Amino acid sequence: MLSVLLLVPIIGAAIVAFLPMGESKRLRQFTAIIATLVFAWIVYLLTQFDLSNSGFQFSEYLSWVQPIGLSYSLGVDGLSMPLLALNGLLTWIAIYSSRGDIERPRLYYSLILLVNAGVSGALMAQNLLLFVIFYELELIPFYLLIGIWGGKKRGYAATKFLLYTAVSGLLVLAAFLGLAFLSATPNFDYNSITTEGLGLTTQLVLLTLLLVGFGIKIPLVPLHTWMPDAYVESSPSTAILLGGVLAKLGTYGLVRFGLQLFPETWSLVAPGLAAIGTVSVVYGAMAAIAQKDIKRMVAYSSIGHMGYILVAAAAGTELSVLGAVAQMVSHGLILALLFYLVGIVEQKAGTRELDVLNGLMNPIRGLPLTSALLIMAGMGSAGIPGLVGFAAEFIVFQGSFTTFPIPVLVCIIASGLTAVYFVILLNRTCFGKLDNETAYYPKVLLTERIPAFVLTVTILFLGLQPNWMIRWIKPYTTSVAVNPTGLQIAQVETQK
Amino acid sequence: MVQAIEKPKKPARIPASNHPHAEIIHRLEAGGSMLPESPENLMQIIGIYKAYAVPMDFYWRDLLYIAERVFLDPLPFFKYFLPQEYLDLPNHYAGETADYRVWQKGEASAHPELLEFMKTGEVKKDLPKIFHHLWHDRINMEFAEACMEAMLWHQGMGGQFNDYLESEEYIANADKAIKAFFRKNPLMLGLYKLFPEMFYEKVRQLSYYANLGLFWEVMAPVFFEMSDLYDEGKFKTVADAMDFLVNGIFIAAGRPIYHHVYVGDECYEIIPKSKGFMWLYEAALPYVEAVFYRTAPFRGTKSYNAQAEQVPDEQKDFHYGILYADVFPVGTAGIPPTLLMQDMYHFLPPYLVEYYQQYCRGEDDVLIQLGITFQRSMYNVTSAVIQALRTALLYPLDDPNPKHLMKNRAFFEAQMDRFLRPEARLRDIQSQDYR
Repeated sequence: MLSVLLLVPIIGAAIVAFLPMGESKRLRQFTAIIATLVFAWIVYLLTQFDLSNSGFQFSEYLSWVQPIGLSYSLGVDGLSMPLLALNGLLTWIAIYSSRGDIERPRLYYSLILLVNAGVSGALMAQNLLLFVIFYELELIPFYLLIGIWGGKKRGYAATKFLLYTAVSGLLVLAAFLGLAFLSATPNFDYNSITTEGLGLTTQLVLLTLLLVGFGIKIPLVPLHTWMPDAYVESSPSTAILLGGVLAKLGTYGLVRFGLQLFPETWSLVAPGLAAIGTVSVVYGAMAAIAQKDIKRMVAYSSIGHMGYILVAAAAGTELSVLGAVAQMVSHGLILALLFYLVGIVEQKAGTRELDVLNGLMNPIRGLPLTSALLIMAGMGSAGIPGLVGFAAEFIVFQGSFTTFPIPVLVCIIASGLTAVYFVILLNRTCFGKLDNETAYYPKVLLTERIPAFVLTVTILFLGLQPNWMIRWIKPYTTSVAVNPTGLQIAQVETQK
Repeated sequence: MVQAIEKPKKPARIPASNHPHAEIIHRLEAGGSMLPESPENLMQIIGIYKAYAVPMDFYWRDLLYIAERVFLDPLPFFKYFLPQEYLDLPNHYAGETADYRVWQKGEASAHPELLEFMKTGEVKKDLPKIFHHLWHDRINMEFAEACMEAMLWHQGMGGQFNDYLESEEYIANADKAIKAFFRKNPLMLGLYKLFPEMFYEKVRQLSYYANLGLFWEVMAPVFFEMSDLYDEGKFKTVADAMDFLVNGIFIAAGRPIYHHVYVGDECYEIIPKSKGFMWLYEAALPYVEAVFYRTAPFRGTKSYNAQAEQVPDEQKDFHYGILYADVFPVGTAGIPPTLLMQDMYHFLPPYLVEYYQQYCRGEDDVLIQLGITFQRSMYNVTSAVIQALRTALLYPLDDPNPKHLMKNRAFFEAQMDRFLRPEARLRDIQSQDYR
């Protein structure tokens, strides 16, 4: 069942690459149909997902290259299933929102489908080597997507992205090889790999390799410097996939391999991780406040919000891990909406400069609906109740507070800073008086609004009914938590 | 038929102007308009004159109805519900009964397009009038009242009309009318006894209703005739349109401005025609000054802070009229004329509808596009007023005496000084891309 999520986009990419269809819009329609099929299959899997089962489901196994321990082993659990759904949705959004007149459309749409397959593969992989293959498979499509269809500094941004993330992949590979060899496991399958029997120092070294490797991908401060350039220079569609999907592989890796494989060592390094997460949150917010480019502002906001995930993962309680996964989904949706809307603003107004944009709320000559949705996305990012951002951040804070009260308090204060930079962004771009000299923006067509509507409705729906998000995550978090929650501690103390 | 004014032939040589608007001054000296010469501009302004004239035909009739019949009605709920009598009121510049038939083909009663719109509205359904009114599917008299209020508020703009409103004779005339109007209403008479100044002030306002109504009674047929002439191909240039307006101004210049009130069958002359208040000096020029130049900060999406000196201390320095208006902010019935744009939208000629479809957002921002066209057209009207004043007070454009031409130059430069401030849209309308 899961192979469909790999085969359909890969075969689709091959068809698109050689399809004798020169017109970009028709190629986009065709690719969107493939993405829709993939997403529909994920929805079907969601309906078939056993919510009482904390283990892997829909498992598929094929011994592939046995001598090196590589197997084609797939499966999904409460950690990967929501992220698969996110990947499916955002791929459709990215395809649908691509420009109709994009150059080299065959290559472009093939690469997007390959990205989809790669991310799905990494999320479904049950073998460490298979994970690394899919993890690395992402690099080339993204490198090309940034380098060919990016902005003015696309070459620089693409190369920087490639170098950083290649190092990330190497570090992760090194950690996996070390883990397999040192623990003397016969293959790289998840169910065979264990850290039991490894010394603390060894575990620390291996975990550090993973932390740095995935830390680059997330990215965490101070490993983040590739990210603003890559996000800003990417086209909006690529930025949606970069921020909404690719970065999640980093946090996914941290939870799946760091927290799950090294539970005891994780507890040791957790305070440091919480500190790094908190620094990321504060730094991301402060840096976002200082930006003059709205896309760069959104990019830095992403660093901050990914910090919450690290703090929650570090806390390692059932609730905090639940919050971490929920925050991955929430952040992916909100960031995708922000990047999409910023892309609309840039496309229509011709600029992303805070000092130039003004009065976009003007109902006749401005971009009123885009502005309204931008406000909605800003509210979601700032954690306003009723939106998915609030639900996720609330669970993160509540779940992590008993373990790391001070970092959580700092994060709560920093979430207030989120409101600060979004108020700056919205006040300068959406409000005020539309300048006569510049206000000849083309109108936003209904078809251009659809992706924003889809994302907004999802953000609102999951905000009002977060159970629809966490019901798939909960079975997994119950099994993976390394620290007791505040409630559990209280229960234990009561029993004493 | 109105005769076009004579074009300058061989103007004497005078040095070029160094004024920042020198190019426009030279154009005015050559008999042109502040609006650049182009077929597109001509098409736009004539189209909008026609679209303006239809609601204007309602405005002037209702203004007179309010001034003459509604008068001091303490509950004037139905003041915008024009009775048939006023729809049939013959325009003095159109139809068989005209004093001077400016609009050659039109009738003296209300315009057919106006009657059709009043009947079915934008919804194209013959519903009771109250439904159209509450749904705002009607002519927005609030715009006309905003213009009247601008004239009332700015007051001291030359002429004798405003001074007369403070005279004992005016108070005596108003007193008679007030007592007659409330002769069966002891409560209002008692209030009048207690607060007479309040009632006089209200009557002064109603005198401005009459003033503006009489002004627009002239302008509506002028604009209709211009539209007809353009359709017949008789206007070739913007200057032709401006010259027609100049001639129209002179034809109507001596038309009396008065305020009569009807109580039953009896007429009370609050401002009698015999006072000799002339249309040009007591209505047209104050109107242009108050509405085109000054008005007041309007309640739109842009706010003004008087304490931060964003509003001038002196009323004469106000610059919120259509010549300075930023059409983008949307707001209430103030000026720039959001509601007028809505009114004009219903009566656009087909060629203007087609034109707007081609630019910017087409149908979606047609109100802004026609608002900016209106701005262009009002620069043309202002040019006509400037040329008319020059004709009346100074020298011909082809005067052989250089000293006379220099006086004309000084006059034009003084007029252009008013458009030096950054808010003025004179520079904008020089470009066809300003839409």
